[in-house]
Amino acid sequence: MNPKNNLLVGAIIAVVVVTSYDVGVEPIAFFEGLPNLGIVAKEMTEFESEHWGTAFWAMLETIEMAFVGTIIGVLISLPLSIFAARNISSKFVYAPLRALLAATRTFPSILWAILFVIVVGLGPFAGILAITLYTVGFISKLQYESIEAIDYDPVEATNAIGLSKLQLIRYVIIPESAPHLLSQILYMFDYNVRQTSILGIVGAGGIGFYIINYIKFFEYGKAAVFMLVVLIAVLAIDWASVKIRDRYIMKAEHGRQLKVSN
Amino acid sequence: MENEEKNSASISTLSIIQMRDVSASYDSKNSILKNISMNVHRGTNYAIVGASGSGKSTLLKLMNGMMIPSNGIVLYNYQKPDVKNKSYKKSMAKIGYIPQTLGLVKNSTVMDNVMIGALPRIDGVKSFFKIFPKKEIEYAHDILKLVGLDEKSDRKVHMLSGGEKRRVAIARALMQKPHVLLADEIVSELDSVTAREVMDVIKDAQQKLNLTSIMIHHDMNLALEYANRVAVIKEGEKVLEIGVEGEQIIDFQTGNLTQQEILEMYSESQK
Repeated sequence: MNPKNNLLVGAIIAVVVVTSYDVGVEPIAFFEGLPNLGIVAKEMTEFESEHWGTAFWAMLETIEMAFVGTIIGVLISLPLSIFAARNISSKFVYAPLRALLAATRTFPSILWAILFVIVVGLGPFAGILAITLYTVGFISKLQYESIEAIDYDPVEATNAIGLSKLQLIRYVIIPESAPHLLSQILYMFDYNVRQTSILGIVGAGGIGFYIINYIKFFEYGKAAVFMLVVLIAVLAIDWASVKIRDRYIMKAEHGRQLKVSN
Repeated sequence: MENEEKNSASISTLSIIQMRDVSASYDSKNSILKNISMNVHRGTNYAIVGASGSGKSTLLKLMNGMMIPSNGIVLYNYQKPDVKNKSYKKSMAKIGYIPQTLGLVKNSTVMDNVMIGALPRIDGVKSFFKIFPKKEIEYAHDILKLVGLDEKSDRKVHMLSGGEKRRVAIARALMQKPHVLLADEIVSELDSVTAREVMDVIKDAQQKLNLTSIMIHHDMNLALEYANRVAVIKEGEKVLEIGVEGEQIIDFQTGNLTQQEILEMYSESQK
């Protein structure tokens, strides 16, 4: 190691120490508190089996919310991403739109959920709105980036034929930018299920409502049931999306025929 | 549209493309083409041959208006080609242009790619929802049969072979019901057997649809085999223009030559 690197490592350690002190990191409190974790863990293993049913339905509601939010969000994103693409739209359209989309991504969906609970009241609808809004911000960005990266040859060739702009978008831009869309939607759904699981904390529906309440009243055995269901569901969705990806996306990339299930 | 075709047939003896003292450049200093003059008569199979970088592709882009000459005049059907000019759009739809990269939409089916050629004739809103008149769909199938791809119309383009991709590009151009077919080195990357298959498809289509074609070739042999007029471009200048009638070659500059002599001359101009 040369002295320059030593200096850099030393500086990083110094910054970590100073900022830790600043935000109140107390290692001693962590070790003193460890036995508490033992108590929680012990209580958590005492599952209360009559809650499995409730947990299942609450998880189903969570997945439904994530699904609806993802699909509506994607449907809104598709036209928006075209207006936000620099190679298609004028500066006066894409610049403000991009700023707006960036703003929706600034806050995690749980903050949007608080806002929508104020607007439409407690319940799953507020959660769906929050998930939709976040999906719009995210998928639009991924989509306009893939539109900006499309192959220019077909655009040039079809321009020479004399297509209208709408036809160009429909027959060249959308198909050329679509291959990544399925993969992006899967990723987004996966992410949204996890997000929706905690939206219940602010009263926006889903399984998080039960988890936060049981934890508040120290009923760790009940909370554990719901947390385990979330864990299983997220793992299952993760596994399923890997399967879907392998089946449709890998095949498409290897030039084999895309299979469409009927 | 049928009237338009009759009109063009009635003046079929005249040139469809005229170039007079045309120069072109991408920047103000280096010109890619210098003082090119040529006439392409209706019904001609015109071939342009030259080494890479000689300015052949630029010549085609001048003909369909993707480029504007820096000097001289280009006329297609007595109009100045210019893609950016909106009143020229109707004429553009009648020029089938196949770039060297083919410009196919790889994630779309063969049929969707071919239909792109018909879009200028179809109402914008209907075409957005892929609603096509029955007549157009039938015509697309006819064209696909002509190029030998009808049974693969539902395939995605990225799954096709190099020769098949070229057939799709030809079909898209033919779907435009073009008066002129411009093709930029369409068979250069293919092996000689596949190249001849693709050229035969074009030849067949030309005869059936009464087309004028202007094709860029890298291979002089192919040009002599399929074209009835060949121009050789070297360093941006037209160095030779010959007529071909079977085995007989008529050189407009130096009298009659044999194929062998032309091939020798060409290989010299390559150096």
